[in-house]
Amino acid sequence: MTPIPALVERIVSAMAGLVELGETIEDEWTYVHDLETVWVARLRAVAAERSATAPGPDLEPAIDRLIDEAGRIADPHRAIDWLSTLPQATLVALGEVAW
Amino acid sequence: MRFQDAAKDARAVVYAGIQADPLVAQAAELLADASPAQRVLARAVMNGETEDAAGWRTAFPTLFGGPAAAQGLDDRDRSEAILAASLAVAGRGDQVRSQFRGAIVEAVTERLLARRVPGATLRRERRILFDGVPAEIHPYDVTVESPGAAEAYDCKWGARGISPDVLHQLDDARSHAAAEGERLLPVLVIFDARRSCEVRLARQTAPRTGTRLVTIETLDRLAGRRAEAAS
Repeated sequence: MTPIPALVERIVSAMAGLVELGETIEDEWTYVHDLETVWVARLRAVAAERSATAPGPDLEPAIDRLIDEAGRIADPHRAIDWLSTLPQATLVALGEVAW
Repeated sequence: MRFQDAAKDARAVVYAGIQADPLVAQAAELLADASPAQRVLARAVMNGETEDAAGWRTAFPTLFGGPAAAQGLDDRDRSEAILAASLAVAGRGDQVRSQFRGAIVEAVTERLLARRVPGATLRRERRILFDGVPAEIHPYDVTVESPGAAEAYDCKWGARGISPDVLHQLDDARSHAAAEGERLLPVLVIFDARRSCEVRLARQTAPRTGTRLVTIETLDRLAGRRAEAAS
């Protein structure tokens, strides 16, 4: 079973893909990178708190599915929306407060 | 200060058709009573690409059963209904779905406000006029037209909808009202996390101190209820 910090890092990598797409909207370059910074910090803080907790059996499939969904995003505008949505959905899957 | 129906131009007529779509009312009804986590589900599905319901159930195990689920049967049923409505919105296609999402946030706002203020004071698509001030082009999505305690709401699907124009319009309305000795509370309702909204606002120089921000985690405050945790 994959530990929670490793699952969260997979989400962080998926977010990097969304950043790459979203930053092609020139006017939103700063916003996209700021979004990534604050949400990655939040996710990693949760991962650190939960590093000794065994993930439930539903968590890894949930993370797989969310990463798959992020990978399907091809539109840069949608990618920016997902940069905010993906961490919230991840936190709900983790059973954490989503913000 | 006085309120007036917005002009029925071509854009307004088309958008009115979307606002009147039964799917908007259905989704708004569900989301008005949804938990914060269920609202995140709606946001994800309406933003997403996949139209496979089973996949979304997998992505939200805390809402759809399995060992991690903490909800009762009613919540599970509501999650299923929210998923179905959100998939129906996503299925409308890229152009139309963004209009649906906006209309849904407005309709949720209206429903929650109706629990706090008299229905007769609650209006949609209204302009606010002040003596000697040119009227704003964009109407307010929702207004509470109570004498001495008016409120003006601008509703957005995501934090990215926060722009200098939006902030200026809301603050201008507040200051023009104050200049006439009236009280007007401008409110920005964003169906997105406060964290993302604060990121958006951090680099804006437009005035915002007089504008209240309501985000996905605090939507229930529109109805006068305290926000709940979203897990």
